[in-house]
Amino acid sequence: MSQSSDPKRDELHDRLVDQALREVLGGETPPDLSDKILAAAEKQEFVSSQRKEHVMGKSGGGYRFWSVGAVAACLLVGLGIVVFSFQGRQLALERNQEVALESRQRTAVPQTAAEPANHPSRPPQPSPSNRAAGPKGQGRDKAAKWAWENLDGGTQGVLGQPFVTMRQEFSGDLDIPFSPPPNANSEAEVLQQLTARQQEEYSARDEKGRGPGRGGDKYDRLFENPFRPVEDYPLSTFSIDVDTASYANVRRFLLEEGRLPPPDAVRIEELINYFDYDYAGPEDDVPFAAHIEAAGCPWKAGHRLVRIGLKGKQIEQDQRPPRNLVFLLDVSGSMNSPDKLPLLKKGMKLLAGQLGENDRVAIVVYASAEGLALPSTSGAEREKIIAALDELQAGGSTAGGAGIELAYRIAQENFIEGGVNRVLLCTDGDFNVGTTSTGDLQRMVEQRAASGVFLSVLGFGRGNLNDAMMETISNKGNGNYAYIDGITEARKVLVEQMGGTLVTIAKDVKIQVEFNPAQVAAYRLIGYENRILAAEDFNDDKKDAGEIGAGHTVTALYEVVPFGEKIDVPSVDPLKYQAPARPRDDAVASKEMLTLKVRYKEPDGDTSRLLEFPLVEGGDAFGKSSRDFQFASAVAAFGMLLRGSEHRGTATYDAVLEIASAAKGPDVHGYRSELLEMVRRAQSLSRR
Amino acid sequence: MATLVRAHQAGVWRYLRFLGCDPAEADDLVQETFLTVLREPFELRSPTQTAAYLRMVARNRLLMARRKQRRVPTAIDLEAAEAVWARVAGEDGLNHYLVALNDCLEAAVSPRVRRALELQYRDRASRAEIAAALDMAVEGVKTLLRRARSALRDCVERKVGK
Repeated sequence: MSQSSDPKRDELHDRLVDQALREVLGGETPPDLSDKILAAAEKQEFVSSQRKEHVMGKSGGGYRFWSVGAVAACLLVGLGIVVFSFQGRQLALERNQEVALESRQRTAVPQTAAEPANHPSRPPQPSPSNRAAGPKGQGRDKAAKWAWENLDGGTQGVLGQPFVTMRQEFSGDLDIPFSPPPNANSEAEVLQQLTARQQEEYSARDEKGRGPGRGGDKYDRLFENPFRPVEDYPLSTFSIDVDTASYANVRRFLLEEGRLPPPDAVRIEELINYFDYDYAGPEDDVPFAAHIEAAGCPWKAGHRLVRIGLKGKQIEQDQRPPRNLVFLLDVSGSMNSPDKLPLLKKGMKLLAGQLGENDRVAIVVYASAEGLALPSTSGAEREKIIAALDELQAGGSTAGGAGIELAYRIAQENFIEGGVNRVLLCTDGDFNVGTTSTGDLQRMVEQRAASGVFLSVLGFGRGNLNDAMMETISNKGNGNYAYIDGITEARKVLVEQMGGTLVTIAKDVKIQVEFNPAQVAAYRLIGYENRILAAEDFNDDKKDAGEIGAGHTVTALYEVVPFGEKIDVPSVDPLKYQAPARPRDDAVASKEMLTLKVRYKEPDGDTSRLLEFPLVEGGDAFGKSSRDFQFASAVAAFGMLLRGSEHRGTATYDAVLEIASAAKGPDVHGYRSELLEMVRRAQSLSRR
Repeated sequence: MATLVRAHQAGVWRYLRFLGCDPAEADDLVQETFLTVLREPFELRSPTQTAAYLRMVARNRLLMARRKQRRVPTAIDLEAAEAVWARVAGEDGLNHYLVALNDCLEAAVSPRVRRALELQYRDRASRAEIAAALDMAVEGVKTLLRRARSALRDCVERKVGK
């Protein structure tokens, strides 16, 4: 049965039998390197922070890192003997001591139960399996800690030579409160029950994502914008956001993984902005046009919904400026899954097909050591680009800091005046060696953006996605953040949007809306929670804001409580020393509901320009509004339902479906139909 | 972290030996593998996925080491080796396999063959020495051992359910 006809496989099977026999009969057991590894790992952080400057900017630094790390670990272990022999200390340190003492002196260690340290000794010798499960390291334990050995019961080797030495110790390390299950009769049962519980814990964590410094996807907590009374807050200021990552991420949760997304993964403005709306482009030489529309609010009777739409001017294919693109690819081990590096490679091959001879592409990879996989190459040399892509392999860990420096340097060296100069960071997670902190990265990315090299971030996969950090650094780098959940999205972002995402037509685009207190009692900006600016930032040209690309549309919705409607916001006591501001007489007379002000800078400019657009409300019912208005409001309602928003009013999945399918329009690419599918899926998931 | 290392370090070591590392090299690469993994916030996955991820990192460390030494990447086909390992050795770093092999040695092997295997693996006897001890031709020893390994392989794979 197991004899296969493949000789190569047979040979490998023989090899395995041979190896197993060497262990079972010959006593060639694996050494126990745990303590050595743990000690080295503990020092690793220390060493890597000490060596930060040295590692950065050098290729091949990884190997040196290891040797220095090993030397430092040895020194520290030695130091540990001197320092810690006087203190009953933590488990791992105590182990270091035992190991070091044993391996150097080969004498019994009196203070703890004997622990065989047979690791560096050659030839290998059989290891006695009875490790004492003595109560060590109590100070560190958060939960009940216990140990057992020989999980399989009778795993004693032949001829009295034990070959399986397995010991599991659950302690505070895992951060899961562990205690022996009460109804377990045998160790095997204990193991089984614990594993099941562990799995539950893990999947429960995955549901919500995790906090910083932990594995798992990371999402920043979002607090929804509340209703603001116009009396106290006449101005609403925010930065535009053209990201769409949240939509693709939500789509993956719903359609592929069949579960509701964690609320903090849902950024409503990114859901709305995923779709193109049919706004007219600008006619004169301004980079974009603004369109305002108002109608009844579909989820709250009496409220009004105001939509602000910006449309960037189109750039024809033949007028597109040359591109200098540097892809910074994470090729760490975790990228080695079909939805990560292989998907990225496919997407980049599609892009390679679109490049012209004036375009340049380079590929920088980062893992244990950063490296240049493809020097800056003309778009005409497609084969060369594709060959470089084919050679990429995932492996090693992430050293993003050094990689990003190299990528920026190459972008700078090949800078095209008047062209698109951009670093595209493609990753599934973190940077954690070199420029480590998000703060450092932000500062660096900000500096580089000022010099004309912008940054885009493409997120991939699940498990370690640092959504929060990726969004932050793409914002700082005058870039955008997209989540690639499949080849369709890869094509949309890398091929279809190449005109939009990559050709920035205006930067630091800020929106400020002044509401007329004679018309509006309160308002609420839907989404854009992490894009809110202070009112004074609007005129401050030093304050960074979002970019808009060629042909891009940006949409924002306000839910407005008209003057005279009851507003449900906590009241503030009347001021003792000031009279409350009163609307100006001409405001009362004005029919204007609000004035939209937009500030932007030319892509290479430093001073902003201001555009103003007043809105006069016509009092239209929702049914009279434009198709795009209706569709956007359905998407907003969908987002609120997914977030479990307190402002969702009477919104239901059914209502969303009804509005969205009526307002779907021609839907050439099928994106809107896909939304309907997502709504249906969310509806059925939420019923469970 | 400690749990991860303790549960998997032996398996990774065995795996590296299987891929052709000598014991000292396996020691080094096991450490590198775990340090690589522990440098990133480690995502807790199912034991099977964890073991597979560790093996992948170990393979990459091996390839990098070989590149540094300017040696031929590896004598054996890593992908095929991984496929074989994943199929029969699985998530527990060969533990089940070893238990099964132990049973098979008790049950499925004649005392004579058992003696030959012990001579070869435990006493590191040469074929000639084995032939002398068992009173048979040197050529016969080779066949005997080959058949024994083949029978053991069948028996073990039946036991581990592959």
